[in-house]
Amino acid sequence: MEKYFNKHFSLISFLFIPIIYFWDPNWIEFFGVQPYWPLFWLLPWSMIYGSIDGLIVGLFLGLVLDSITPESGFTQIPGLVICGIWFGKLSFSSNKIISHFRYGFICSIASFFCGTLYFSQILIKNFSVDGIYLYFPSLSNIFSNVFVTGLFAPLFCSILLSLFRRSKGRYMIFDLKKVNI
Amino acid sequence: MVDIRRISTNRWWHRKKNWGLLIFLLFLIFVRISKGSLYKDLYFLISKPFWPGQFQREVLTKSFEQESFIKLKQLEKDNKRLRELLSLQRLSDSESISATVISRKTGSWWRQIVLNKGAKDGVEVGSFVVGPGGLLGRVNNTSLYTSSVTLLTSPESKVGIWIERVQSHGLLVGLGNNMPKVIFYNKEIEIEVGDFVLSSPASTLLPPNIPIGIIQSVDAELKAQKTANLLLLAKPQAIDWVQILKVSI
Repeated sequence: MEKYFNKHFSLISFLFIPIIYFWDPNWIEFFGVQPYWPLFWLLPWSMIYGSIDGLIVGLFLGLVLDSITPESGFTQIPGLVICGIWFGKLSFSSNKIISHFRYGFICSIASFFCGTLYFSQILIKNFSVDGIYLYFPSLSNIFSNVFVTGLFAPLFCSILLSLFRRSKGRYMIFDLKKVNI
Repeated sequence: MVDIRRISTNRWWHRKKNWGLLIFLLFLIFVRISKGSLYKDLYFLISKPFWPGQFQREVLTKSFEQESFIKLKQLEKDNKRLRELLSLQRLSDSESISATVISRKTGSWWRQIVLNKGAKDGVEVGSFVVGPGGLLGRVNNTSLYTSSVTLLTSPESKVGIWIERVQSHGLLVGLGNNMPKVIFYNKEIEIEVGDFVLSSPASTLLPPNIPIGIIQSVDAELKAQKTANLLLLAKPQAIDWVQILKVSI
């Protein structure tokens, strides 16, 4: 059972992202805002499997998350796809401490990017209706999300990275390039 | 000398009876001037142990509640009849479904709650959800066993509101934070902090007069509209039980 779990951990963990997204534990929050969970999974996956796999998985993640959130007019796909590509281009650091801080920093930037893209969609949609100035107070969501995602990224990303490495190669979608770790 | 002494002992103030009469007369004058206040206070003290007790208070409260209930029923009936005459939205007669909140996202951009009742239990898309305090949001989609509710704070949410005091309509817009904005497309409107906000009687999506919130602050006027921040009465981050109410179309 353990062997099976280790082998298929990537797939199992992917299936659990929506569950964690629904659960959204309120003890991990900053000003009522929780971390952007999909990034914790996308970063280690893309770093191991590369940009193209990152793009595809980012697209899948976006599709799943868009279907479980009620906002039909906005999408998370562009942010996750671009982050998937970017994460795939990143290399591993040999220094464990630096790499931990790096995960936090990268996830913060990615969270800022995804949040800004989402906010832009809200502004564009409501530009002519209510006036965009109304929505500026909700910018605090982006900054809270950046902080809390960056804070927990070193913990979650390093655990997932070590677990993904065990099943590395098994779920590679496109074997276009060799992964050098 | 003897005669003089006799006269002096026969003066009126030398008689106790006369003093008694005088005091009684003064007392009557005091009662007259004070309009019987002494008697009233005395009656207050004497009758205090015999006042209507807890039991009588309960009887009166119950009677008052029954009276209010009858009045409310009558008003509801009138309201229903008038709304039918005006062809406005109303609650369906089958009324509400109780549900538990099984997931909540009340921070960030995505503001929804997931309930443990779905299509199998008769929940329909477009039904609205109320919790302790008032309106929470509308059912956005349903699965077999669950339903997702878009909260009033979601950037997707826009509902018509009504302010009773100034008899005016507005639009409640969710911004993705905990304080949605109310937009009035009339600069002349005199809204004040503390005004109660209800669902609009003219709304085609919601039934009328459901409490939503209280105006917390009024923004500076801009262009042709006036805006205000709304403090919601129902707190989705703390509510565990809600009611799903159907709207008949």
